Amino acid sequence: MANISIRNVSKSYGALNVLRPFSLEIENGEFVVLVGPSGCGKSTMLKILAGLEPATEGQIFIGDREVTDLAPGDRDIAMVFQNYALYPHLTVRQNIGFGLKMRGTDKTEIDRRVDDAARILEVTPYLDRKPKDLSGGQRQRVALGRAIVRQPQAFLMDEPLSNLDAKLRVHMRAEIGALHKRIGVTTVYVTHDQVEAMTMADRVVIMQGGIIQQIAAPDELFNNPANLFVAGFIGSPGMNFLNSELRDGKLTAFGQQISLKRATSAQGPVVVGLRPEHLVLGDAPVTFGVRPTLVESLGSEKYVYFDAEGARIADGEEGKSKGLIARVSHTGSLPRNQEIRLGFDPAQLYLFDAKTGERL
Amino acid sequence: MRRTLAQSLALYATVIFTLVMILFPVYWLLVTALSTTDELYRLPPTFWPDDPQWDVFARVWAAKPILLWLWNSMLAAVGSVALSMLVSVSAGYALSRYSMRGGATMGLFVLTAKMLPATLLVIPLFSIFSSFGLIGSLWTLVLAHSTMIIPFATWMLKGYFDTIPKELEQAAMVDGCSPIGAMVRVVLPIATPGLAATALYAFVLSWADYAYARTFLVNSPDNWTANLGITTMQGEYVTYWNDIAAASVFIALPIIAIYLFLERYLVGGLTAGAEK
Repeated sequence: MANISIRNVSKSYGALNVLRPFSLEIENGEFVVLVGPSGCGKSTMLKILAGLEPATEGQIFIGDREVTDLAPGDRDIAMVFQNYALYPHLTVRQNIGFGLKMRGTDKTEIDRRVDDAARILEVTPYLDRKPKDLSGGQRQRVALGRAIVRQPQAFLMDEPLSNLDAKLRVHMRAEIGALHKRIGVTTVYVTHDQVEAMTMADRVVIMQGGIIQQIAAPDELFNNPANLFVAGFIGSPGMNFLNSELRDGKLTAFGQQISLKRATSAQGPVVVGLRPEHLVLGDAPVTFGVRPTLVESLGSEKYVYFDAEGARIADGEEGKSKGLIARVSHTGSLPRNQEIRLGFDPAQLYLFDAKTGERL
Repeated sequence: MRRTLAQSLALYATVIFTLVMILFPVYWLLVTALSTTDELYRLPPTFWPDDPQWDVFARVWAAKPILLWLWNSMLAAVGSVALSMLVSVSAGYALSRYSMRGGATMGLFVLTAKMLPATLLVIPLFSIFSSFGLIGSLWTLVLAHSTMIIPFATWMLKGYFDTIPKELEQAAMVDGCSPIGAMVRVVLPIATPGLAATALYAFVLSWADYAYARTFLVNSPDNWTANLGITTMQGEYVTYWNDIAAASVFIALPIIAIYLFLERYLVGGLTAGAEK
């Protein structure tokens, strides 16, 4: 186990910068998740960390050792790939033991450690099978087994759950979390799924366009997003945004003047953010009437979609938006196109600079 | 889906037609070998000899150095397969895995060599080999056959390597292999069907050659390959076609044996289970 230090690492292909200078200190035993939309540079960063891609600039340290120019096999890391990358011609036992064999580990020691790893991951009955005779979940476990058996300094995981079906994904997510608690190895985990990021991470690194947007613990990201992108990315459904104007501590939204409860010196155009779960049915400090354009029922709660003046579509969500969303607890029926009252507390509003997208 | 009667008939007719097209020359070779000289020229031809001459095989085997010719053919073919596989595997792997400046153009350029007929290359090759003092040696065939095999074999193998996920090598490198180690320990075992098919193609191409052997080896009877040896059985005034056919049966047997040996490796789906 070791800490990982990434110092000003960047990557470009000719004129194309896929990763802007990236710096991150990862504590010993920490579980860090890199999350962001496709093409944000998260997988590139992981491959650079693994040594599978050279960095254009910058340095990487694992423990006290600089590994920037070392081959992947010399970095003492293990990697779990999105498509598992099991060796199809080898049995499960040989797959798990391959890395140890390459390092010249004694045969009896390999067997002992493979058996241990197989027991932890509950794949002992399949040790003599080939990968093609395993289910998706079993293959995923073998891929994890191949990583843990080496007892490396760090685990790198590249979207390891994205090929599993929804139910198995939730199950394996919990298993990986439990595994990390059990063996405590420093882990860097890449995903595009914010739910995985929020549920698994000690700290989340949100990336977009090769640039780190925010590094924080999951709750901190949710409660204090640094900018519009983070605010829109974290949370399900995503945060509602409205274009508005801020004058003397008051802004206009939902057809009324709203006094902010906190002091701000900002003036002029702003983007107002309001989480769907902060909207309630009925009375609240600020209330307004809407006609739902769509109501989705999840049983105990409803997603109420409605239009409002100034509604702004989150970055990257163009064409998908069904308007603003309220996530309300309500078990009865909410007919479409019949006016209902929604409300919120202005203290729960987020304000962002309309030009830069930075939080105000 | 159930086939209708018409579909079944069409299917069987196609299969039978194809089999007849492929197997008739083999059958005719055997009939020719077993017929007497008189019977060969009889019109209409007979489809099975009245008195099959089974002793023709022993007679030809005793009269001609068939074993030596087969041995020479085998040496040339095995040498060509070994050399061309060594080059094609490396080249095909590089074309599949590494993007280099002009890589795609280079890959296509390799194929242009395949467009040139052997008869066009035979004179420059002869000139090169004679300046190295190789004329009359089996090495000429190994080198010349490799020039025919490598371009196409490179492309066959590149295509096969393309189907193997890159993550397998990356996983092997994280597990401690060097790039070459990852290729040898992970990629090549998975590519066995592609390697076997390419090796078979290379072997048959070398085994079937006549033009190069005739040009480079004609004055060295000790190094004659089977194809070259057989043509010397054609007389100036009389040709015993039954003897030639019997010798041809001997030549065809190793190819069948090689195919039966490699067939077990010519199975698909070896990458199954590598991914999700």
